[in-house]
Amino acid sequence: MKRLLRILSLVTGLAILIYWATPSQFTESSIEKIKNRGYLLWGSDAEGGAPYVFPAPEEPSKLIGFEVDLAEAIARELGVKARQSQNAWDSLIPALERGDFDIAMNGLEITPQREKEILFSIPYYIYTEQLVVKKDEAVINDTTQLKGKKVGTLSGAVAQDILENLGGVDIKIYSGQAEPYEDLALGRLDAVLLDLPIAAYYGKPNPKLKYAGPPVGEGFYGIALRKEDGELKKEVDRILLKLLQTGELKQIYEKWDLWNETQEKLFLNLNKSISYTSIEESRKAPVYTFFPMLLKGAGLTIFISFVSMALAITLGLSLTIIRLYGKPPLSSLSTAYIELYRGTPLLIQLYILYYGLPNIGISLSPLVAAFLGLGMNYAAYEAEIYRAGIMSVPKGQMEAALSLGMTQNLALRRVILPQALRVATPGITNDFIALFKDSSLVSVIAMVELTKTYNILAASTLRFFELGLIVAFLYFVMSYPLSLLARRLEEKLKGSKK
Amino acid sequence: MITVRELHKYYGAQHLFKGINLEVQKGEVVVLIGPSGSGKSTFLRCINGLEYFQKGEIIVDGIELHSINRLTPGKKDMEAIRNVRLKAGMVFQQFNLFPHMRVLENIIEAPVRVLGLEKNTAVENALSLLKRINLEMKVHSYPGELSGGEQQRVAIARALAMKPEAMLFDEPTSSLDPEMVGEVLSVIKGLVNEGLTTLIATHEMGFAREVADRVVIFDKGDVIETGPPDEIFANPKTERAKTFLSRILS
Ligand SMILES: Nc1ncnc2c1ncn2[C@@H]1O[C@H](COP(=O)(O)OP(=O)(O)O)[C@@H](O)[C@H]1O
Ligand SMILES: [Mg+2]
Repeated sequence: MKRLLRILSLVTGLAILIYWATPSQFTESSIEKIKNRGYLLWGSDAEGGAPYVFPAPEEPSKLIGFEVDLAEAIARELGVKARQSQNAWDSLIPALERGDFDIAMNGLEITPQREKEILFSIPYYIYTEQLVVKKDEAVINDTTQLKGKKVGTLSGAVAQDILENLGGVDIKIYSGQAEPYEDLALGRLDAVLLDLPIAAYYGKPNPKLKYAGPPVGEGFYGIALRKEDGELKKEVDRILLKLLQTGELKQIYEKWDLWNETQEKLFLNLNKSISYTSIEESRKAPVYTFFPMLLKGAGLTIFISFVSMALAITLGLSLTIIRLYGKPPLSSLSTAYIELYRGTPLLIQLYILYYGLPNIGISLSPLVAAFLGLGMNYAAYEAEIYRAGIMSVPKGQMEAALSLGMTQNLALRRVILPQALRVATPGITNDFIALFKDSSLVSVIAMVELTKTYNILAASTLRFFELGLIVAFLYFVMSYPLSLLARRLEEKLKGSKK
Repeated sequence: MITVRELHKYYGAQHLFKGINLEVQKGEVVVLIGPSGSGKSTFLRCINGLEYFQKGEIIVDGIELHSINRLTPGKKDMEAIRNVRLKAGMVFQQFNLFPHMRVLENIIEAPVRVLGLEKNTAVENALSLLKRINLEMKVHSYPGELSGGEQQRVAIARALAMKPEAMLFDEPTSSLDPEMVGEVLSVIKGLVNEGLTTLIATHEMGFAREVADRVVIFDKGDVIETGPPDEIFANPKTERAKTFLSRILS
């Protein structure tokens, strides 16, 4: 298996290398061509409209839009000027392949079909689809309620696919961005589903319209390049990452009111080893290229598990002692805590800690919420294990200790707990294994631990199977030593009880 | 040395002690006998503060234990109980050595942590106690590695290490194999001969006759007879005492 993978990756790597290397060896490279020419020719459709590329209202001969700003930034980094090449949006890709311009950038969604024909840069924007309805709309609250409704969208857009997949929707295809919203306001449509930037520019400002539900779907806009322009793609990726890092990209989006939390995910590309790898490449990349990222996730998983377990052990011990030896109000509180935490799902506890507490003014960092969530939950289980351990110590032990003049605290500390903990150790170890695996739940509160790393990688590469096996293996490698330890402790305990 | 006055003890609805009185002089050896369930253990445990009682009082070397009706005793009560325990050491039927500590650690634990003795001093004391009970070679053994008789001797040494004014023995030989009873009894005899105030609950009648200054017979929570062993064993006055003795001596 390992050898097969190695050979496969070697062959793939070699193929890519030959593929990229061949044209630039014999002909002038695209980058050189652009530099000699002095400008970057980028294809887009100004008719498509705002906020991508559109004529400035006060000076129609001048094009503006966030993609104009982005093209200028990229050209600047290449040491040239930017020049827009007008082309109908529908035929941007054939025109690119024909050689009408160097790159195409006009809200082109990165899709597998398109990737068959062209290269995509790393994503420069994460789009979502926003449903817009009339202000007085009462029935349609989100995309699930579109059956039998007239819904407008753009030809060839991802939104069209979404609507088709819903089934039973009366889809109206438009070629311009303004029209569907006009028709919606006039009552000719029941709703419009389009990319959020379009909705933000055409739908939102219209007083007769409103957003229905949260954005759906999620995809990437990428800059399209010809298949043979691997060099240029690398250069464009490098520039995009730089713009991301320097914050210039964010500034552009903020200027056009396009920045939102979703865009933070663009930064995922920054810290990771695959930062220079596009989605297309990462689909072919040998599997070991993901190891640094996976190992980093595993490291965080271990860190979270250990800190949470330490919290669980200490808090659990206090809970047990208070429950067994505390005064009435406290001891029942401790019992209530244990029952409450054992009787509710950890996931809900995490949500309340991380998303719920801010409602009452307490905002925890993801890491702290993860520690507290796991630690406080497992403390309840630890408490029960300790209690069983303490109960297993014969009554005579406490009495003997007391009769020697020890206080109850001293007797607990020196006589009861050491014996109870020995009985409890296998249980504690088993709980640690469980906590270790449950730590994957903290991926819901923005912690990029091992499971979350898997989610991110698998979603972008679609290699769910392969990566899934690797991640499962990593979990196993980490938890198996603990299992062995638990078994050894159990045997030791049995031995000492003879 | 130990005074018990009008002691009433309930276990739930069961009224076990209905006003027991007993006075033990310094250096006196009192042996408690009586059938199982007659209240010997409970009596000793009351003196050691391991059981609360509902009426009467117990005074050990000037320290008074009061009746406690509440579920949890107050701070003052706890203090008194702890002081009484320092005056009167207790040895249990089940030994109750600490299984996770070696013999030496079992003995020095309380002297060091309760009395605040220097560790060196405590170890010295422990070693001389172990010598007395003939177990120096077991200093570093764990209780699990000792025979029952050895464990009980260590338990006695552990109690003695606190230098108590009196010792309470609750059937110290009842869970021992017969061949080990002798070694434990001879250790107790040694203590008694040194003049240590001692209360012993036991079924060993020969031993009782030998060491006792006074014998107290319990039955169903009542003290039915008390007196010097010769008198008690030869001439029991009450029917209940006669029945008990005839059964046990036959
Ligand atoms: N913890 C307890 N709870 C309820 N009843 C008890 C408890 N301990 C002892 N007893 C009862 O008190 C009586 C005396 O017991 P005990 O003092 O152990 O007698 P002895 O030591 O003479 O055998 C018995 O009837 C016994 O059932
Ligand atoms: Mg008894």
